[in-house]
Amino acid sequence: MVITIARKEFAEIMRDGRFRWTAALMVLLLLTSILAGWQRFAAYTAVQSTAQGESNSQWLKQGDKNPHSAAHYGNYAFKPLGPLAFFDSGITSYAGTTVFMEAHKQNFAIGRPASDTSAVARFGELNGAMILQVLLPLLIIFLGFTAFAGEREDGTLRQVLSMGVSRTSLLWGKATGLAAAVLLVVVPCLVAGGIFLAATGLQTVGGGVTLRVALLAVAYLLYAGIFLFLTLAVSAWARTARTALMIMVGFWAFTAFIMPKAATEISRVEYPVPAFGTFMAEMKAHQTRGIDGVSPYAKLGRYQAELFRKYQVSRVEDLPVYWTALRMQKLEEIDQPVFDLHYGQVRDLYLAQQRLQDRLGILAPTLPLRSVSMGLAGTSLIEHNKFTTDAEDFRHNMVFKMNDYLSKAAVDLNGVNDATNYMVANEEVFAIVPPYRYEPPALAATMAVQAGNFGILGAWLIAAVALAWQATRRMSMERS
Amino acid sequence: MQRLIISHETRMIARGGAWWTILALLVVTLGFAAWTGARSVERQLKGAADAAAYEDGARARMRADTEAYAAKVAATGGTYEFAMVRHGPGQGPPQGTNAGAVGAETAVFAALPPTGLAAFAIGQSDVQLNYLPVSMGTTLDTMKKLEVENPLNLQTGPLDIAFVVIFLLPIFILAMTYDLLSSEKERGTLAMIMAHPISLRELLASKVAARAMILLGVVTVFGLLALLGAGTGLDHPETWLRFAGWLAVTVLYSIFWFALAVLVNVYGRSSATNGTVLAGAWLVLVVVIPTLVSLLATTIYPAPSRMDLIVAAREAQTANEKSMQQTLERFYSEHMDYVPVGDQRAMDFLTLSQANAASIEKALLPLYERFREQTARQEELVQRFQFASPAIMTQLALNEISGTSTGRYQDFLEQVSRFRVEWNAYFAERFLKREPLRPGDYDTFPQFRYQPESARAAWLRVLPSVLGLLLAALALFSLPMLALRRFQVAAR
Repeated sequence: MVITIARKEFAEIMRDGRFRWTAALMVLLLLTSILAGWQRFAAYTAVQSTAQGESNSQWLKQGDKNPHSAAHYGNYAFKPLGPLAFFDSGITSYAGTTVFMEAHKQNFAIGRPASDTSAVARFGELNGAMILQVLLPLLIIFLGFTAFAGEREDGTLRQVLSMGVSRTSLLWGKATGLAAAVLLVVVPCLVAGGIFLAATGLQTVGGGVTLRVALLAVAYLLYAGIFLFLTLAVSAWARTARTALMIMVGFWAFTAFIMPKAATEISRVEYPVPAFGTFMAEMKAHQTRGIDGVSPYAKLGRYQAELFRKYQVSRVEDLPVYWTALRMQKLEEIDQPVFDLHYGQVRDLYLAQQRLQDRLGILAPTLPLRSVSMGLAGTSLIEHNKFTTDAEDFRHNMVFKMNDYLSKAAVDLNGVNDATNYMVANEEVFAIVPPYRYEPPALAATMAVQAGNFGILGAWLIAAVALAWQATRRMSMERS
Repeated sequence: MQRLIISHETRMIARGGAWWTILALLVVTLGFAAWTGARSVERQLKGAADAAAYEDGARARMRADTEAYAAKVAATGGTYEFAMVRHGPGQGPPQGTNAGAVGAETAVFAALPPTGLAAFAIGQSDVQLNYLPVSMGTTLDTMKKLEVENPLNLQTGPLDIAFVVIFLLPIFILAMTYDLLSSEKERGTLAMIMAHPISLRELLASKVAARAMILLGVVTVFGLLALLGAGTGLDHPETWLRFAGWLAVTVLYSIFWFALAVLVNVYGRSSATNGTVLAGAWLVLVVVIPTLVSLLATTIYPAPSRMDLIVAAREAQTANEKSMQQTLERFYSEHMDYVPVGDQRAMDFLTLSQANAASIEKALLPLYERFREQTARQEELVQRFQFASPAIMTQLALNEISGTSTGRYQDFLEQVSRFRVEWNAYFAERFLKREPLRPGDYDTFPQFRYQPESARAAWLRVLPSVLGLLLAALALFSLPMLALRRFQVAAR
């Protein structure tokens, strides 16, 4: 019986003008966005890998100079994208693409592609994920809102039920028919997407591209299922088809447009991030003041006194170690906890905001889906945070290696322990710092973060099915 | 008769439950948007004030050092000298006497002041930094400063009043009007009404008027409340002028949606079909076309990558460092007045970084030009394609009215870049001549004063959007009036 109902539902949708129009629009947009996303990904990746290669070689070929000057010259970290970024570009346009790693300073990521676009870009980016998150539910609503309400208005619902068809098989039959129609639109586009994905060469990303695609498919199926059963529930429950449509379109606008923005603002109120000027002023003041209230100069003085005691000398010139280099490294170590505290606070606030927004997913299923999608595509905040913390580790190591080399090499250079002992290093020395390379987080790490979001999506689906089941059991056959 | 229908419709609307739900949702979001908009402007102002206070404090300390030094010199009768740059305190002239140190190590924050209506449309102001540090560095150094903001939030975009107007107001209007005639027809009441002495056109006009009055009331009252709560400079006539502009654009945009609903109703399908068509139209006009236009702009005129810019800057820097001596000599040969007397090899840090910055700036000029060109072309394309969607026209108009438009920001950037030249000239000249800075000089430092754009420039930018909205609304209204002749009153 379920099959028969499904077949009837499917045939009816196929013959409907609504289907032809919405399906054509969906396919057109999906293909356009996949093509555009792929092109953007290819362009980004080409620029990124060239830039990283050039920056790494610029580090080596910066010309013979003092190792500490080399640390000032620094290196750049350019964020690579995984191949799935063409499907879901996530926060790529709004997060920095580049971190400058230099002596004495921790830096924020710079180079947001969004700052070079017109104001119209704020309407959103057209990509595969956006279409599936925003338009797919609408397609389902358009095709499904008349499922029960329409039949009731036509008087056929009474006929069908009087023939002894159970309400449960009616629900499952309609769900299957509707799902078949939706898949007919989506699957060809996904195949096209798969071909493009293969064309990216499947390199980089934290491994497991196939598994990532499979998990993405599961997440989007859960999401589509939620809208499918909710639409059927409302169609069974509402008195007229137009009420059903109004309720579902309202819910769709709420979950796809209002809630993401509302969640953003709520998370901002709950976890306010300081403005750039405030951040900068507070951090620099803290740096001058010292993390424990002791100024860096006082600390350097103590450190010097300690060295004097240790080596039984009273002048810098008599130290058997190269004071200039030790002083640089000491300053670095004094500043590091202040940087880590302030930059770490900002990163933690971002994460706390993200977690709160995910939790608000109990009100709108688009929120957890968005996180899962970006996470699996490797374009989420988690990846961005890892990129910036990795860059900081690299910077720390780079500066340490240069200062360390200087402190050892300069002493042996000519035995003159003062500023005129200007040690010059070459490419061979700079090579002790390994070239910068970014390792994206592994799939397991991503999944550990996203498990909660999968849970919320699953709960939504169960609730939607239960609602649809209840609504069909109680639905009235009469036109009101 | 018309008055009767209007009052009847108003009462009917007041009794509908779904209505109140949507109205409540609209009003709550509007209030929330006003509140968050005000918060965002406050945060921006605090950031600008904190940054300026920090830098001013640093400069004040340098000045205090020079005052102490000047007093010491006056007491002991020595000469007031110029400090070679050192980091950290010690004996001798303080760093505050060195124009190069003051000009490079302290910055002036050039700020773009928000307008009284800034909280109404955040626009691009969360992506840009509205207060930029100007010191003796390069343009790249300034451009590297970004607002500290969660990229996830930037990507989602703010929930501001412009969003409520552009996205939610049409939903509200469509929910009121999607079954304007179709519901009466389905209930069979339309034929009955038509038996009375009233034309279909009058009936339609009365129904729309009743709804428009409600909407207009809501928009004006809550817009005014938003202004009182979130607006700044309420005692300034300019703020009220901007608010009038906001109201005009919002009303024009609403009229467009009313007209569209009337048009769809006049073509006489069922309420459910009308609802689907209107929801689809909303989707296409508010979501699909704007994102397509944005895609078109960035695909046809992609901005060059910032990553390329950074690599190019590095190349210029490296090439420069490798030929430090030549660079320095070239610099001095171009600026003969600055060759220090008796200081043949003035290879100090600041002179070099000065020369470095100059050559990086020179190397990057063509690249900046390319960024500027491409973004200008993108903007031009968006300006042309805005007529494809009332949502784009409204967004552009509201950004302009709130002072958060790309045009106003570009004008600000040009002022900043002129100020940079002024700042550099002031400090570089004194530094290269090894002219010691005296306490009194601190009063003559260049100051950034934002010059508001002429009202004409802003009006010229906003005009196409407003005219476009007006024309679209008029065209949509005249179409149904023509189609009404063939309208079937009875359901069958």
